[in-house]
Amino acid sequence: MANTKLLIIDDDPDYVDGIKSILDKADYDVDVAYNPKDGLEALKSGGYDLLLLDIMMGRGAEGVMVARKINKDPKLREIPVLIITGIREQMAFLFPGQPVHPRLLPTDALLEKPVDPKLLLEKVEALLKEAAEKKSKGA
Amino acid sequence: MTDKEKILIIDDEEIVRDSCIQILAKRNYEIITAENGEAGLELLEDFQPDLALVDLKMPGISGYEVLDQIHEYDSTIVTIVITGFATVDSAVESMKKGTYDFLPKPFKPDELRLIVQRGLERRKLILETIALRREKEMLREQFAAIVSHELKSPLGAVQQSMYGLVSDLEDKLSDEQKGKIERLQSRIADLIKLVNTWLRAISVDISTIRDNFETISIVETISKAVENVQQHAVRKDITIETSIEKPLAPINGNEVTMVEALVNIIGNAVKYTQMGGHIAIAAREEVGKILVEIKDNGVGIATEDIPHLFDDFYVGKTKPEGERRSGVGLAITKRIIEAHDGSITVESELGKGSTFTVHLPILEQANITNQEQEVLET
Repeated sequence: MANTKLLIIDDDPDYVDGIKSILDKADYDVDVAYNPKDGLEALKSGGYDLLLLDIMMGRGAEGVMVARKINKDPKLREIPVLIITGIREQMAFLFPGQPVHPRLLPTDALLEKPVDPKLLLEKVEALLKEAAEKKSKGA
Repeated sequence: MTDKEKILIIDDEEIVRDSCIQILAKRNYEIITAENGEAGLELLEDFQPDLALVDLKMPGISGYEVLDQIHEYDSTIVTIVITGFATVDSAVESMKKGTYDFLPKPFKPDELRLIVQRGLERRKLILETIALRREKEMLREQFAAIVSHELKSPLGAVQQSMYGLVSDLEDKLSDEQKGKIERLQSRIADLIKLVNTWLRAISVDISTIRDNFETISIVETISKAVENVQQHAVRKDITIETSIEKPLAPINGNEVTMVEALVNIIGNAVKYTQMGGHIAIAAREEVGKILVEIKDNGVGIATEDIPHLFDDFYVGKTKPEGERRSGVGLAITKRIIEAHDGSITVESELGKGSTFTVHLPILEQANITNQEQEVLET
């Protein structure tokens, strides 16, 4: 799993540290951006296999804006995204126990904060696999 | 209120209009008059009256029509009917439709002053009630925001750091140290769960539950709910027995929330019943209703707790051993059941156990389309 590059965009350093530790341990190569602007720039510089994106940053849903921008860029759209959110209740109190999946991007999955280590690794792996399959089909 | 209170008088008799103005002149009111319904209604928008005095018998559009339109324009405007004795019956009739009071002609000055004063007090109360209700709603929403951001996110961050720490130190910690961290994590997980339950209680919106109604089977709903609490029951060696008087008519509802409502009740039964206890769930049909009875032989509920059982954040005197309570489960349950046009009742005796009964209206046969019928039969 070395050489698999992941990017985390989240403005809360405590979450970032906790999530990064788990991914480091699993031998992923993890970079971090603490705001949407740096995050997008890093993403554009290329080379990332997966993005972990916090939906609620700054004064509101700045993460959603990032997702929208990614969606408009044909190249960035290819990158699988794991959306991380602490606001399941507000988004979807109608579906207890079932996180509503906003489907912001072509390849994405959703996890609720705090992110359980086992679930995190499972989702990351599944997303990477799905993206690889898409790629090989497309090629 | 520093503004003058505003009164609109609609009467075709000039002498009535003038005497009203004269009688009320000493009070600090702003008064406007109209000689017929059309003219009066035209004034509503600009004048914004607090109170309207309306004669029932006028040429042109009738007093009833005028009253209806005033109520429709702003139901908080207090209306008073001025009427001849012959039309007292009709005044009473109009009170049924929202008119505050009536004043039979001829009236004494004091009678008018009193009725107007009382009407204006009523208007003030209505406005205050609306303002308070709005404030309460805002508090509720703000509380939800505060709970989620100020409480939930730091707790989550602590938990996340803990996950990270465990993963960093995995090969360095002794088993005892790992045990300590596990206990820390489980306590934080409980707190997060509690915050989530509160958030849920605040955000259960009945109108949105109703948007997702479909034809559902109560039998299936019960079995899903039982499945949900089964594990907890097994751990406490509690048997759950379900008996269903078939066939049961379908109901109109939302399965996800209905399951949640039943899980709360059955889950409570498990919580408040000692090891080795027994829970009996029975469902039957009774004149247009489905009754679901959940009976346990647990610790029971104190009589003084019963009236508050379904209040938000209420926890009763009897505590379940080693179990956690949020005090919102039954409040959510009640809201969900009421959204289904149903009701919930409880009977209980301390030390003997409790019986919760959910009453739900069955879906009328006529409302079931053939297609839905097929779905139900398969």
